Amino acid sequence: MLREVIKMDEMVSRLVKELQAIVGEENATDDRAICTSYSRDQHWHFVPAKNPACVVRPANKEEVRAVLMLANTHKIPVIPYSTGINVRGLTIPVHDGSILLDLSRMNRILEINPEMKTATVEPGVTFGMLLEQTRKYKLRPAFPDAPLTVSVLVNYYLRGIYQTAATDGHDHTISYEMILPNGETLKTGSRALSRMPYFRYGVGPDFAGMFCAHPGTCGVVTELTAKLYRLYDNRKEYFIGFDDVATPTKLIYNLMNDELAASIRLVDNQSWLKGIFGTFDYPYEELPKFVLCVLVEGVDGVFEAKDTLVRAYMKECGGEVLDLPAEFATTFEHESLGGAEKSCMVFGIKGRGNYHCIGLYGPLTLAAKYYEVHEKTALEVGIPKDHVHFYIDPIYSFHGQLCYFELDIFYDGSDPGFGAKLRNYNERQFHKLLDLGIYGWFRPYAGIIEPTVERIGYLAEVWKKFLRVLDPNEIMNRGKLF
Amino acid sequence: MELEREEVLSAIHHCVKCKLCSITSFHPREEWLPLCPSGQFYGYQAFYAPGKMEIFRAILEGEITEPSEGLLNAVYACTVCGACYEKCKQITSVELGAPDLFEAMRHELASKGWILDVHKNIAEKIKETRNAYGEKYEYKAKSSDENADVLYYIGCTARYRVPEIADAMLEIFDKIGIKYQVMDEEWCCGSVLIRTGQVEAAKELVAHNVEEIKRSGAKTIVFTCPGCLKTFEKNYPDMGVELVHSTQFLLRQGNMNLKKEDLKAAYHDPCHLGRDLGIYEEPRAVLSEVADIKVMKREKEQAWCCGSGGGVKSAFDDFALWSATERLKEAKEAGAEALVSACPFCKRNLKEAAEKEEIEVYDVVELVNRCLER
Repeated sequence: MLREVIKMDEMVSRLVKELQAIVGEENATDDRAICTSYSRDQHWHFVPAKNPACVVRPANKEEVRAVLMLANTHKIPVIPYSTGINVRGLTIPVHDGSILLDLSRMNRILEINPEMKTATVEPGVTFGMLLEQTRKYKLRPAFPDAPLTVSVLVNYYLRGIYQTAATDGHDHTISYEMILPNGETLKTGSRALSRMPYFRYGVGPDFAGMFCAHPGTCGVVTELTAKLYRLYDNRKEYFIGFDDVATPTKLIYNLMNDELAASIRLVDNQSWLKGIFGTFDYPYEELPKFVLCVLVEGVDGVFEAKDTLVRAYMKECGGEVLDLPAEFATTFEHESLGGAEKSCMVFGIKGRGNYHCIGLYGPLTLAAKYYEVHEKTALEVGIPKDHVHFYIDPIYSFHGQLCYFELDIFYDGSDPGFGAKLRNYNERQFHKLLDLGIYGWFRPYAGIIEPTVERIGYLAEVWKKFLRVLDPNEIMNRGKLF
Repeated sequence: MELEREEVLSAIHHCVKCKLCSITSFHPREEWLPLCPSGQFYGYQAFYAPGKMEIFRAILEGEITEPSEGLLNAVYACTVCGACYEKCKQITSVELGAPDLFEAMRHELASKGWILDVHKNIAEKIKETRNAYGEKYEYKAKSSDENADVLYYIGCTARYRVPEIADAMLEIFDKIGIKYQVMDEEWCCGSVLIRTGQVEAAKELVAHNVEEIKRSGAKTIVFTCPGCLKTFEKNYPDMGVELVHSTQFLLRQGNMNLKKEDLKAAYHDPCHLGRDLGIYEEPRAVLSEVADIKVMKREKEQAWCCGSGGGVKSAFDDFALWSATERLKEAKEAGAEALVSACPFCKRNLKEAAEKEEIEVYDVVELVNRCLER
């Protein structure tokens, strides 16, 4: 045993020396403490801590290529990591002896093209960094409801197709460049044909789509071109209270069907609303149980027309239009159109510092049932009702009444007993939701893939073969699926 | 470690690793401004607060059993400036401060003997000379009245590295007619030992200074060094004596007939004075009497640290000077001709970095002294 440990240590030392030759001495290490800092994320109740064998921090795509080729030669697992904000265990090593590929030094915005309404970024570029630059052109990226410290590239590439601006659509990636384990560069869309990376569908099938939304990674995306969206000066916010989930669905449908609102979020009054309003200090319990937050925007003329229609729908919606402090509307605007910051107050709900969610895509028609099953399963496993929260974000342009749903539970992150309850909740809930009917999962949560794969038939076989072709030595972090 | 193990682990588990602690408030300005000097300079996750917390967890849970170079760098190349905690508190209202955790981590490491040689040397120097710089000469200062109610605690840095601050403070006392004492046997307050985890070694210093102060009969102690003031506030027993920073003391003097200079000055919040003690307004009020204040983008709770605290200046000087240079650039961008702090340790590091930047560096008391007509 001791001999094996020594042998492993010697191998890692040799590997680090080779990595240092690629990226420079200070950018590769197998120091135990440095590696430990990458060993765990917020999802530790589900994905246990595991140290990478070493960490390497390349500065450019050529260094990435050299690292991947080295790893491929020695069949060493590689875990790509962008800005270090990850809440689902996706950058925690699966295997012993993994290389943690920290891409945070690659943080250049390669192009902002206001005429094309696109931005091309490296993996270390965050939403905050990008907005700082795009707003100069009155443009913004499509924001996920994640901290604005997260990577733009990774959110779009991995599975970040939800957003808080309902008019943005659900797919913000246009094209990208990916380095495969064998060192080859794969360019998708028009990027493969020309220096114009502005069109998703270039030659042959939609390869950009084929690589997105895996439970892990197929290669390392070193640059990605994404859509940007207009920032309008005309804005107006409304907050409408409801006592249940079903009643507001009619208003949501009308707003989405007529394409009237930039941002629509239905949240309960004890969780995300605090972040949307930017304060814990408000008697939220006096508000109706669910609040629909609506943001209208547009150019002159169009804006006024939309606003008139929104107000007309609000009159007949069966909810209570809430008169709230003006700063709440301002914070909602910032969070929706400028990136989530105060929204992260949810991490402090009950002062406990953690939250659990199952995020999924499904039709608005099932909203009330998703909530019902959420509450029921939580109670079954002993999670108190006051920990159960809910969130709906409808997604443009509403074909299939597409919505992002979040079944949230806020809890004390330091309580292992609660962690056990949540694992029990997940095990039951994944099956129940699959039985009820969903479009897809938002993230490849731990334990979610197994019950899902059982139901997807031959697709699973094709999917596995596809990955084998790209990564025959299985060095990339394939997540929990294969 | 004064914090209980379970208390520490609980706090660590509450960090969701959103890393919003690494930037200033983004809204409404919508500018990406880094807040964590250590993380920004070194880059590895280990140098940001969430990474450091993981390391601390691994130590407490027995996963890390030896001191590696990376461990010592990650733990000690941090100025413990507290900016991460202030930002986190604004967002999540967490209940335990990161600086307390990081000091507890250092204490834990020091108790295992996992400490940098340079910090050990400081402890040895203090033992030998009773000052953090190991200087054997005496700083020339005498009490104007040995029974005065006011005692000026000078501190090691103002005595031995930036004496112009101590000189200025003493001249101000004379000019405005305040009788004062200085300690014949002023020992290091112990701040540097406590901040680097060597808590036990500070006990003798605390005991000595407490005894001397009690003997002095002083009712008010004035500090130009926020590090000393913080240590007296948080680590000394209550002596029944008022503890004030120089800027607080000056402000309460009322109209001092200061002759305002034609100087555009940015105010740099010292971490110990601002984030640790909540003293933000008094230095600004005093400075506004002697110069035109130019406001930097990162200030008060979200001020960028000068880079010298927490034992960083002595152990990681390149990092300390880089942090200071970042701050000087920010001051210049704000249109300032001078960067003014209220801390000898800040001044020393900023001044050293300013050798390559075209900007002056002062302590507030220096400007006040210059503008104070006799």
